[in-house]
Amino acid sequence: MLPPFALERPDRLDEALGLLDDVSVPYCGGTELLMAMKMNVLRPRCLVDLKGIAELGRLDWDGDDVLVGGAVTHARLATDDDVLSGSALLASVERRVGNARVRSQGSIGGNLCFAEPRSDIATLLCAMEASVTLQSQTDSREVAMRDFLIGAYETVREPGELLVNVLIPKVRRYRGVYLKYQYSERPTVGVALVHDEAEGPWRLAVGAVGEIPLVLEADSPSGFDPHAVAESIDLVEDLSGSVEYKRHIVEVYVRRAMQLAIQGDSL
Amino acid sequence: MADVGQISSSLDGSGEHGQGARQESGHAYVGHSVLRPDLLEKVTGAAVYCVDLRRSGSASAKIVRSTRAHARILAIDTDAARSAPGVVAVLTCDTLTGLCSRFGHIVADHEILANGKVRYYGEPVALVVAETEAAAADALELVQVEYEDLPAVITAEDALAAGAVLVHEVDLPLLDVDNLSPGEGAGSPEGGPRVDNVAHEVTLEWGDVDAAWESAAVVVESSMHFPMLYAYAMEPYNAIASYANGRLEVDSTAQHPFMVRDDLARVFGLPLSAVTVRAPYLGGGYGSKSYTKVEPLAAVASWHVGRPVKLVLDVEESIYTTRVDSAVVKVRSALDADGRFIAREFDIVMDSGAYADNSPLVIAKSVNRCFGPYRVPNLRVRGRSIYTNTSPASSYRGFGAPQGVLAGETNLERAAEELGIDSAEIRRRNLVQPGEEILQGKRGIDADLPADLEMLLSALKMGEPSNTKWYGVGFACSASDAGAFPVSTAAVRVETDGSVIVLSGSTEMGQGSRSLLGQIAAEEFGIELRQVAVRQSDTGSTAYERTTGASRTTTLAGLALQRACADALSKMRAMAAEVENVDIDTITQCPGGFSLEDNRILRYGEIVKKWFGASAGEVTGVGTVRRSGVTKQMPPFWEIGMVGVGCRIDPETGAVTVEQLATVGDVGFAINPQAVEAQDLGAATQGLGLSLFEELIYDGPQVVNPNLVDYRIPRMRDLPSRIDLMLAERRDGVGPYGAKGSGEGSLNPIAAAVVTAVARAIGRWPDRIPLTPERVWRLISDRTDDE
Ligand SMILES: Cc1cc2nc3c(=O)[nH]c(=O)nc-3n(C[C@H](O)[C@H](O)[C@H](O)COP(=O)(O)OP(=O)(O)OC[C@H]3O[C@@H](n4cnc5c(N)ncnc54)[C@H](O)[C@@H]3O)c2cc1C
Repeated sequence: MLPPFALERPDRLDEALGLLDDVSVPYCGGTELLMAMKMNVLRPRCLVDLKGIAELGRLDWDGDDVLVGGAVTHARLATDDDVLSGSALLASVERRVGNARVRSQGSIGGNLCFAEPRSDIATLLCAMEASVTLQSQTDSREVAMRDFLIGAYETVREPGELLVNVLIPKVRRYRGVYLKYQYSERPTVGVALVHDEAEGPWRLAVGAVGEIPLVLEADSPSGFDPHAVAESIDLVEDLSGSVEYKRHIVEVYVRRAMQLAIQGDSL
Repeated sequence: MADVGQISSSLDGSGEHGQGARQESGHAYVGHSVLRPDLLEKVTGAAVYCVDLRRSGSASAKIVRSTRAHARILAIDTDAARSAPGVVAVLTCDTLTGLCSRFGHIVADHEILANGKVRYYGEPVALVVAETEAAAADALELVQVEYEDLPAVITAEDALAAGAVLVHEVDLPLLDVDNLSPGEGAGSPEGGPRVDNVAHEVTLEWGDVDAAWESAAVVVESSMHFPMLYAYAMEPYNAIASYANGRLEVDSTAQHPFMVRDDLARVFGLPLSAVTVRAPYLGGGYGSKSYTKVEPLAAVASWHVGRPVKLVLDVEESIYTTRVDSAVVKVRSALDADGRFIAREFDIVMDSGAYADNSPLVIAKSVNRCFGPYRVPNLRVRGRSIYTNTSPASSYRGFGAPQGVLAGETNLERAAEELGIDSAEIRRRNLVQPGEEILQGKRGIDADLPADLEMLLSALKMGEPSNTKWYGVGFACSASDAGAFPVSTAAVRVETDGSVIVLSGSTEMGQGSRSLLGQIAAEEFGIELRQVAVRQSDTGSTAYERTTGASRTTTLAGLALQRACADALSKMRAMAAEVENVDIDTITQCPGGFSLEDNRILRYGEIVKKWFGASAGEVTGVGTVRRSGVTKQMPPFWEIGMVGVGCRIDPETGAVTVEQLATVGDVGFAINPQAVEAQDLGAATQGLGLSLFEELIYDGPQVVNPNLVDYRIPRMRDLPSRIDLMLAERRDGVGPYGAKGSGEGSLNPIAAAVVTAVARAIGRWPDRIPLTPERVWRLISDRTDDE
């Protein structure tokens, strides 16, 4: 059962920012937050609902870049026409997040800020070199995805800050594959292997197995050593597998992703 | 992964490969897939479940649960909770003075609220009753319980070890239970001190097993571990109770409302007639809602506060209320060179948790069902149900068969492998023929298993190639002494317009009994389905039914109803003779009424009205079933399981994809064929869950995956792409129109089929389920189990 809490429903960003502190926390789809509250892991005094803030629902394209508001849901990213044509890869990953309820309620901002290690979105966005904008009452800063996540359920976000948007630069030019091994509700391992078609290296991100995604670069999709990747990655044992098994699965999935990319089976 | 693909059935003509064995019914309502009357209500959300019920002036209760696996309770401080906002009362076992504070239909070992010590993490210790559920929840943590830890036994192995701490100190007597033969260690009537943690022991033996090993061509030994499960009914346990003026009324999620009534009457020392238990629609049960669960808690709370009290559990609490017995089953079989059994020996150890609940019956049934529908000249089975400091286990769909059959059938497959005889052939040589006994002195088998096997094989052969690498086909069969103890009653009331009300104590829990009973009444009276209303599961006003379980409703409740209809019809025939002043022999039944010699037709309503001499009145018919006549011999019927699967393995990850499923429902006569197929598919799917995914995992005193996110159940996408649901209808059951029950059959053997398919695909035999990807990968890569 949910413990008692107050609910605020601001419709302006500054209003929301003014409400946040250690015990008043952002609340969007509630798919993680409410579960943590039911389990008594989190006990905020006040939930600040972000769903009424228009700015956080934006999905703006600027040339090859896209700016995604923090409250945009997975379902929208999976089905939006511009996303489907702009980045079929992003749309396909979003389409396979959790289940229908999680996709229609859950937001990209909630996914990243909760920093549950078994996230597909974080893995893909690390590979795509995305960044997030964190805004407080007094300040705004842009943080690269790879610096934003610092551990399991840990980010650099301060209690007074909101993730207002995610910037994925050059998303239209990214091609690649995303493979995940998912036995249970959440992925056991997610492997993103992408590159900017116009320039630059291939980037491999391996997520869900450790606290934060491991990101590596190479000149070509065949330039990674699956065995070495598996040996070097930090893994956490949980109900979906032992360390030994997960290390093996990482190797298998990195190899499979490389094969697809080499064959040109990219989105 | 494959989408839900082709489902073929033997009945609608679309099944290319299904070979139903079916005799033309010639009936108007039975034998047809009529639209279930509860369907629309359920799909639109209008159906009323227990949790939807409100009673004015009611309070809400929440349970303070033990945080220890095994501990002495030194003190419970309820002062702070009592003075918290909205709190009405806090109950502990001390509050229950004057009541019989223990319940349990086989062994009354279950304290309503922990008394002196707690026996498992999650056990109810105190009950907070408040104006609202939220207020009760808030006050929970204000109840301070002081514990002194005791050593805990978390596994059956620990509990059986020499010098293990005792979960129960007193050996309580077995209550008078039909259908359960008390075995050794089964509780002495005096209630003396216990010496071990064996809750119940059952043995079954014939022939000379020890002499058999010498003469055998092969002796095959194997063992299988069956996981601890949660039945995962969508609706968690809940109840609303109202105690006033020496009467108790309870609405609850009970499969067996009459059994719960008996338990509650014992707790309060009330006449049975003063206790009413009603069960509205149930959101699934699968055995987990059989017998008494949360009803005593809600009832004592209402008794104490003098107001109706509602108690609603969540999923985690439900897991800590009842789970499924895990088991380790060791098997040894001796066969001759032709693959015929000479002897079989089984040792079954079940982890039954902290309280007996129905586990003594589960172990007894497992003993009867483990060795299969084969001719076994020499047999020895020993089954033990063990108390541990874990959540109490009880009935689960299949009643001990899933645990036993997994071990028995995979052992047979291993024997076939050693002898070089194919899986089908070895079964043909051992299966009993129709009428032959499986259990000595019991009803002979009322099914044609060899024919069912050929039906199954014909469907499986049509499937994927069976011998490609990383693809395996497996099948298995079982027979369960089903129907439980045959005590069933039904009543029908014929109204002045000829419409009919059926009264039955059998519970509609999703399986379609409301529809089925309506079909039988419509058929017997020759009236339209919409003229029949079925009222169920109200101990105060419907007819008595012992239980809703063991696949008995069609056979036993159906038979009672058929007899009630016959009773009403014969009364009306006599009434017609009286009002028309003609000889009763000149009156014959026709649809909706009776015809007279002069070809006039008297409709039921007319007879009622003429007889009463008014536009009023009613005719009641009653029907009973007991151990007499066709249901004298036990079991009332045998429930057959005949299932095959085709499994593909990803050798790199160990992931198993079930690509084909075939089932044979040997049901005698399918009163609603679609409902029977749905039972078979549902049972098989539930069985795929425990074969591949499901397992409650204890790490120390607690379950680490007590929720849907971490306890993996089958999803739509896990369904095989090819499904063949076949029905064998040979009218060989004692139920109405030759029907037998259905619902458990396709679950019982499926784990053995899956394990066999996987073993064939990877070349190694697993010794436990579920076959998680990691386990399969470890078998393939020969890694030692790290579990
Ligand atoms: C059953 C299940 C399966 C799942 N499967 C997958 C999967 O397969 N792949 C995957 O990638 N993910 C998966 N997820 C995670 C899912 O994507 C997230 O639960 C969802 O996106 C969270 O968004 P929300 O809006 O519901 O967050 P909330 O629950 O509302 O919030 C989560 C946290 O983020 C904070 N927060 C929310 N929005 C902001 C913001 N804009 N700024 C600052 N802080 C904020 C909240 O305070 C809270 O701490 C799964 C989740 C569940 C429950």
